[in-house]
Parts: sequence; structure tokens; C-alpha cells
Amino acid sequence: MIHAGSPRLSRRIGEAAFLAFCWAATGLAIVALAAILWSLVSQGVAGLDANVFTKSTPAPGSEGGLANAIVGSLMMCVVAMVGAVIVGVLAGTWLSEYARDSRYGKVVRFLNDVLLSAPSILVGLFVYEIFVAPLKGFSGLAGSVALGLIAAPVITRTTEDVLRLQPVSLREASVALGAPVWRTILAVIWKSAQGGMLTGALLAFARISGETAPLLFTALNNQFFSLDLTKPTANLPVVIFNYALSAYDDWRRLAWAGALLIAATVLTVTVAARMLAREPRRS
Amino acid sequence: MNVQLESPPETAILELPSETVKLAVKNLNFFYGQKQALFDVNVGFAANAVTALIGPSGCGKSTLLRTLNRIYSLYPGQKATGQVLLDGEDVLGSRVDVASLRARVGMVFQKPTPFPMSIFDNVAYGVRLYEKLSKADLAARVEDSLRRAALWDEVKDKLRESGLSLSGGQQQRLCVARGIAVRPEVLLLDEPASALDPISTARLEETIAELKRDYTIVIVTHNMGQAARLSDHTGFMYLGKLVEFGETEQVFTNPVTTRARDYITGRFG
Repeated sequence: MIHAGSPRLSRRIGEAAFLAFCWAATGLAIVALAAILWSLVSQGVAGLDANVFTKSTPAPGSEGGLANAIVGSLMMCVVAMVGAVIVGVLAGTWLSEYARDSRYGKVVRFLNDVLLSAPSILVGLFVYEIFVAPLKGFSGLAGSVALGLIAAPVITRTTEDVLRLQPVSLREASVALGAPVWRTILAVIWKSAQGGMLTGALLAFARISGETAPLLFTALNNQFFSLDLTKPTANLPVVIFNYALSAYDDWRRLAWAGALLIAATVLTVTVAARMLAREPRRS
Repeated sequence: MNVQLESPPETAILELPSETVKLAVKNLNFFYGQKQALFDVNVGFAANAVTALIGPSGCGKSTLLRTLNRIYSLYPGQKATGQVLLDGEDVLGSRVDVASLRARVGMVFQKPTPFPMSIFDNVAYGVRLYEKLSKADLAARVEDSLRRAALWDEVKDKLRESGLSLSGGQQQRLCVARGIAVRPEVLLLDEPASALDPISTARLEETIAELKRDYTIVIVTHNMGQAARLSDHTGFMYLGKLVEFGETEQVFTNPVTTRARDYITGRFG
């Protein structure tokens, strides 16, 4: 017989224990995150002054900032994103609209997923082998290619996912008016999915803005301010890597400031992406 | 008394005089992959008239509608055999340009599907595909279409607002306006009122009755009253076959086949 009434004591203890465990695990994750953010903010703010944005990376003991690295990182990320958005949006559209159930589509989708989880250092080595070594020189462009290779699969995936969410009825309605399929995709489906697609691009941008490994073999670094992407290019992640391990206090202070900048950028972009994703029905 | 000399026929299809027929379906079979959904359908849809297709769910009425503008050919697994003649020309032929066919045979769906753009652009969307109109002409076309769809008075002050901001009933009339803006010859309506409240339904029915003067209209509906009110001809379908087709009054008051009589008098379906 099943007894109505209060649950048995053992069941209530089990419930309480499980809940406590969940709380503890969640708390652990939050404490770890808070600890990271706290050390980042407390150490980073000290190094953050106007010089960081106006002066280039200094020799030990002299005054300087991160201007060359900030500009280099921005340039490489922007170039990488331009390429990755073109490739990723078109590939994602092809996967969703033209090759949904085809064999070739399934293979491409699988390979994209593999690329999505490939270690970024491999991407760096790959670009080094096909780009840097043959041309005998590190360059910002090589860095952009490496970052683009990391961003493109992310954008491909998110584009395919949001396009698949668009209702079949919307496609049929456009086609029923006499619109060719390509026109339907450009004018109706992309438009309907633009919030989600933008979110995907922003997340990809957040992902590559902190990548260090692929830049070590490609963009290398540069002590001086330069806008020339065909030369080695300064960038925040590699500067942080070098300076954080150095023996000089002022370098380590700059490393913290740079880390704080990247974290703030990633946080801002991620929050923006979340907000865009929350209202996909904007017109 | 009441001695039935002959058992009622299995099927009873009225053949319309060929000069009144705009769209003729001949020996149509339809397949979803291996599964056959339509069996040897023969029927004519008269010009400037409303034809209603009724029948229980899954009987093939929507499928029949979807062959008429070849919207099914979006999906590789689906195929049709037989003929669908629009003004005598077979639209199922492989040489037919399906996009321009669909501009001639418009379709409104069960659920409202406004595009994520302004009310004006929703209506202008199809027009811009095929015609290069001046700004003024396009605006006039949009206004005319919205008036015919009985939506103009409700939206004339907010044409720049999103089509998604309208209510469900307004969205559906927007879709009708969008469909007639391209000046099709045939208008296919797939349960256009099933998601609407009674007031919106009544307005939509007025619109359809109005549109009959200029178009050949085929409407799929689950609402028997709607079919009886709106249509000139009615086709009853069952298990992928067209069982009875005739003048609406005859089909509703004096159906010839047992299946149609049972369905219409509410014994099944």
C-alpha cells in the first residue's frame, strides 16, 4: 500500500543531503570565480593608468604601457572576425538550408565540430607551418589567420543552430510568394535570425580575444607601436604571458592590467551577447 | 417504400464545364517518400469561385493544396505524378519555373507568418520580387492590398511598424494582403482561420467572399460551417481519395456517397 501523508524521515534526509551537496558545489564554483576576479581586479587596478593606453611596452625599469599590444590585438581580432564571419555564416547557412540531411553535410558538420574543439596551440602550429615558415617571418596577418581559424567553426555552429530554429512556415511563406530559396534566406531567414547570429559572432570574438597559444607561433610580439600587420605584431595575451613570468615588478603590474582589460572585454561582450540572445524577436 | 434499388456509389465527382475551370487536377498521385498520400485525384477548380476541401485530419486535403503551387518540391523526398493544369499548362512539368508559378498561385497558411520586417515591407516583399514599381505605385499597391484584406483601417497609421506587432487575426489578414499584392490568379488557403478568434474569422471570411470576384480560390477547412458559407463547390476527401465533389449546396444537403453523408451529418471525423 502507498501511504499518503508526510514522507518518511530517511527520504527527507536524502532530499536535504542532496540539496546541500548541490549548494556546496555551486558555492565552490562561485567562490573560485570570485577569487579569480578579485585577484584580477585588486592587482590589475593598481597597474591601470593613462599610460597603459597611451604608451607602448617599456624596457624594464622605464615608464610604459600597453598601447601597442591593445591596438595589435584589436587589429588582429577584427581582421580575423571579418574572415571568420564570412566563412562561418556562409558555411552555417549551407549546413542548415542546403545540406541539412545530406551525407556531405553530415561529414562537414562533424569536421566542424572537431575543429571547434581542436586545441588552439595546434591551430597556431598549423598556421606556423603553412604561413610563417614558408614566408620566413612572423606577422600579424598570420596571427589573424590563426584566430580566424578558431573563430570560424564557432560562428558556423551558432549560425547553423539559429537558422535551424527558424520556423519552416516562414520559409514556405516566402517561397509561396514566388521568392527563390536564396532570396528567402537573405531577406527573411537571416533577418529573422540576425540577433542569434550576432550573438554567435560576439561569442566567437570573446573566445579569440584571450587566445595566447596560436599567437606565440604566428604574430609573435613587437616591442614597438606598429600598424603594419605584415610584421610581428604586439598583442595583449603574449605580452601578459611574457611579462607575468618576468622578474620585474613594473612588467608584472602591466601584465595584471592587461589581464584585467581582456577579462573586462570578454565580460562586456558576453553580456551583450546574452542580451541580444534574449530578445530574438526584435524587428 | 424506402427500398434502395442500388447501393450508393463509392465516389461521385461532378465534372465542371471545361471553360469554367482555371485549375484542373488529373490522375494525381502524391508520395511522401514511400508513403502514398493521394490516390488518383481528378478535380477541377472553377475560376472566380471558391472551392472548399473538407475531410478528416490526414485525408490529404492540405497535401492536394500543396501540389497546386508545388511548394512540396522544397522537400527532396516528396513527389507527385499526374497533371495539374493551370490554364491548360501542366505545372508539374520539370521545365516549369516554380518561382514564377508560385507568383501566379498564391498561398496563405494555417498559422500567420509575418516576415520580420515592417507592415509595408511585408506586403511589398512579393511585389518587389517581380515588378519594378515606382514608389507611388508600390504604395498604392500596398494600400489596395491591405484594403482588400480588410486591414487598411487598422494599420494605415503604422505601416512602418513591425508586422510582428499585430494581433494574430491582423497578422493573418496581413498574410492575405501579402498574398494578393503580387496579383496571383489562384489563391490557396490552408485552414486560414484555424488560429483565429470568431471576430477575426468573420472578417477573414468577408475578405475571401470579396476576393472571389477576381481570383480562383481553393480553401482547406475543418470548419464545416465555413465551407458551407463561403464556397461554391465542395470536395470531400477521405484517406487520400477525393470521394465526393459537387455544388456546395448539393454536397451539404444531399450528399450522394455514404462516406460524405456520414462525415457531414457528424457520424465520424
